[in-house]
Amino acid sequence: MPAVIFDRVRVAVETDSAPELKVLLDAISLELTEQRIGVIGANGSGKSTVLRLVNGLVQPTEGRVTVDGADTVRDVRTVRRNVGFVFTDPLSQLVMPTGREDVELSLRRFVRNGKERRQAAEGALDRLGLLELADQSIYELSGGERQLMALAAVLAVNPSVLVLDEPSTLLDLRNRELLRRTLAGLDQQIIMSTHDLELALEMDRVLVIEKGEVVFDGGAAPAVDHYRMLCRDGLPAGKPR
Amino acid sequence: MRGHGFLLANYVPGHSLIHRAPLALKFLLVFGCGLASFIVVDWRVSLAVLAGLCGLFLLTGAGLKKLWAAIRPLAAVLVVIGVFQWWMLGAPTAARIVLNILVCVVAASLLTATTPVQRLLDGVVRAAGPFKRFGADPERFALTIAIMLRSIPYIAGTFADVRDSARARGLERNPRALILPVFITSVAFARQTGEALAARGLGDAED
Repeated sequence: MPAVIFDRVRVAVETDSAPELKVLLDAISLELTEQRIGVIGANGSGKSTVLRLVNGLVQPTEGRVTVDGADTVRDVRTVRRNVGFVFTDPLSQLVMPTGREDVELSLRRFVRNGKERRQAAEGALDRLGLLELADQSIYELSGGERQLMALAAVLAVNPSVLVLDEPSTLLDLRNRELLRRTLAGLDQQIIMSTHDLELALEMDRVLVIEKGEVVFDGGAAPAVDHYRMLCRDGLPAGKPR
Repeated sequence: MRGHGFLLANYVPGHSLIHRAPLALKFLLVFGCGLASFIVVDWRVSLAVLAGLCGLFLLTGAGLKKLWAAIRPLAAVLVVIGVFQWWMLGAPTAARIVLNILVCVVAASLLTATTPVQRLLDGVVRAAGPFKRFGADPERFALTIAIMLRSIPYIAGTFADVRDSARARGLERNPRALILPVFITSVAFARQTGEALAARGLGDAED
């Protein structure tokens, strides 16, 4: 598995509401080598920032992130070739009118010949069982099909690391199951943030993020327990009316 | 989100003569129609060209429904332009202007309905090839066209959604309730698209 290393990473941004910088992540050091890594935490805790650092979409204010030795700031193009990123909303990710065309768009930089590119795109779609939906408008697909289509477009270029930012948030139960099965069959290293604790329980390692810090790092079951405890402790006292 | 209201016709697979025609010829047809819209001064000529193009469109097998779907989003704008021009310059000029716009839309739809987007992009890359020596990146040209094709229906769909929600709140006559949300959503969409493209390494300079 590739090693994703966070070396004392701090991310702070300017805001309109306060004169000082807002700290999104504070001095995080991690070495991620497991195949399936989950990131859980409340909304705004810093999960997405952790994921975006891996692909170079967010740059550290201090410290550095490397993927297989490549620095996400200096070697961002190498990093992006190796790290595929799947967003929560596939509609913001799918650029072309149909899935086939979007997968072909991913392949344009790697396969110059049009015929070979079409074949490679068909192969990528076929691997996820999407060939029948390849020519449908992305607006005619269900949420789960769209998410799988976005996944196919990312996997088409064969990244070694796959980062997914809450991929099941917009999906119903059936589509979530479809996505879960698909992810289970992949060889790539997966780093995924999620609010779906059942999905988190299937990970090899889970990080719990709270207010920009990793407050738990370990096996899936104890991590989920820790997160549940954090959520219970954070609730206001008294009975709801 | 009703972003599927596409301004130009989506590709319709087929084996018609127009499907098989060289891409350069189809590009020339669109270019020629655009040029003619400035030159042609007789509305009857514009009408004849439009009829010919509609005939060609139907020959592709894409169907009348697809043709209407390409024209429909413009109908209201064309009526406004037509009435204004009729009032300002008279009926023949108004008819010519409206017909010439339709000629351009149908010609462009003929191209997009019979050419897969990837082939279209390959064509753009080839056409932009000579500009490489001046530092231009043909792949970026193609990506720009792809994003434009994708963004038009998205923004049109956003407008439809915003109009519905304004209507639901009784604000359909308030231009701010219509324009501001469309503007904000469009900016957010542009940012999301940029981020998604960056994450996929699309738009990076050539190696």
